[in-house]
Amino acid sequence: MSAETKELKASTGIQGLDKMLKGGLIPGRPYVLSGSVGSGRTTLAVQFLQQGVRQGERALLVAIDEPPAEIRENVRYLGWDVGKIRILDVHPTARAYSRKVAMVEIAAQRSVGSLREAKDDAKADAMKLASPDLSVQSLQLMLRQELQETRYSRVVIDSLTTLKRLSGEADIDMGMMSLLRFLSESNLTCLLVTDVPDFTSVEPEIFISRGEIRLHRIMTGTKIERCVTIEKMRGSSHDTIPRPLTIAKEGVQVNAGKKVPKAALAMLQGIPGSLR
Amino acid sequence: MIRERAKIGIEGLDEMLEGGLLTGRPYVFSGTSGTGKSTMGMHFLVEGAMNGERVLYVAIDEPPNEVFLNFRKMGWDLSGISVLDGTPDVLNYDKTPVRDVSSERKIVPLASVGEAIRRTVEKAPTDMTVSTLQELMKQEFKERKYTRIVIDSLTSLKHFYIRTSEEFATLQSFFRTLSDLGATSVLTVQIPEVFRPGIESQLARGEIRLHKWFDGRGLMRGVTIEKYRGSSHDSRMRHLKITQTGIVVPMAEGGKRKKSSAPEESEPEKEPKASEDAGLEKKEELPLPPPPENGMKEMRPPIASGDTTEGCDSDGSGGSPT
Repeated sequence: MSAETKELKASTGIQGLDKMLKGGLIPGRPYVLSGSVGSGRTTLAVQFLQQGVRQGERALLVAIDEPPAEIRENVRYLGWDVGKIRILDVHPTARAYSRKVAMVEIAAQRSVGSLREAKDDAKADAMKLASPDLSVQSLQLMLRQELQETRYSRVVIDSLTTLKRLSGEADIDMGMMSLLRFLSESNLTCLLVTDVPDFTSVEPEIFISRGEIRLHRIMTGTKIERCVTIEKMRGSSHDTIPRPLTIAKEGVQVNAGKKVPKAALAMLQGIPGSLR
Repeated sequence: MIRERAKIGIEGLDEMLEGGLLTGRPYVFSGTSGTGKSTMGMHFLVEGAMNGERVLYVAIDEPPNEVFLNFRKMGWDLSGISVLDGTPDVLNYDKTPVRDVSSERKIVPLASVGEAIRRTVEKAPTDMTVSTLQELMKQEFKERKYTRIVIDSLTSLKHFYIRTSEEFATLQSFFRTLSDLGATSVLTVQIPEVFRPGIESQLARGEIRLHKWFDGRGLMRGVTIEKYRGSSHDSRMRHLKITQTGIVVPMAEGGKRKKSSAPEESEPEKEPKASEDAGLEKKEELPLPPPPENGMKEMRPPIASGDTTEGCDSDGSGGSPT
């Protein structure tokens, strides 16, 4: 390990994954974390933020898929103290923050569906008048506001796929480019959680992002095998072999010294491109 | 064809191309994400710069500062490469008038790009379009001719700067401009994992496609020439490695092959062993499977096989060793 180790990298908080990435992610760049449902994306992303907090950085989770309270519950079960991770709650329906999770006051957005439920909340009512629906555009504006007040160094957007679905803008590609550009101009190391990319089209976040880490969940007859691959990593060498991944009490773990069982590898191989 | 050839600077690949790309024409480097398109584009520029040519890198998806940092790590001499920052600005979403980009963006040496990203001017982001990019290049060419251009990537250009309704006409004009400028140009194209032929391949005079797939032992990479007008070429897939010092494509075994002596001349330079030591990635990769000559076709990713090779086989059969 020559020059590569001397250079500063942002640790993902997962030893085996850091090893695959030769130290971690190059800071200040956006990366895609893709995978199917239940492959461990959110857990991994929270570990990435937690690692930042551990190093004295500020970390922000933009919760779109899941209410923050649930995320907190989920990771608390894993035994971490996640109190210092800040959460930007843009989840369309759940608006409850837990006491432990620092609440971020901004002009939060909701979808029309949630407005009815929040009816008797005067503050929410006031905000509903002022704020548009969640979209790529409004998220960028929200983040801009938030970043003016607090300097973050790590951000997770969970998930970009949902954000895109909610936005439904005509110019979504341009908006996505702008959001990613904004994130890198703000010098943030970002993990953008997405579904496994559509194999028949090219999504802008995949080709603009500086790297892609993909989590796989493979049924091999008798059991579920999990593994992780690095699909793309600009400016850094990396491990090109799929490595087994486990989700234990301590969170996601990657064994960078082991290989994926033959049966699972055969599955990776059988599926076109890199769905694998 | 007595046209000059522009070497890409990767021996095995130049050999596949019978010496390199025909000068003055636009080509496409395609592949799924992480296959090495940008790296191969940079190889092409570094090779040109080493021969004293003027070369231009047009950055559209990755900011030039990051491009510079990434490739400096490979130990390449980037001093001769000029760069045009074509990355889009952060959208303002305000109704402020957009400024004319031609006064804002200039071509500069890549090595002079700072370590930090260019910041969007707070009040008025510039509006970049294909036509402004085209104009910028034309302007620049009036003062200084470049012999090699890399547009990285055409996919971004298409997504961010071209309206779908005008896609074909706009792209055609863009390719035409590139030919008119007289430079050998390379456009990188990201293709989806399930292949659908794109119009870029139609418009380009040639297409080099990069592949990656799992063969049961680990990640494998390969390169094919899908199309090459005006030249014979090797129509088989060859293995490709991305090491810490760049892309390596092996020479054909016992490659005693005809006229284009260029690749052979440079053979001594190639030190496969040295690059093996240099490449961290390589250490962890498994031994190279059977050489390209045997059964490479079967090793292609299932999707890619069949849809594009047929045409090439007939053109290129003259060039393949048997």
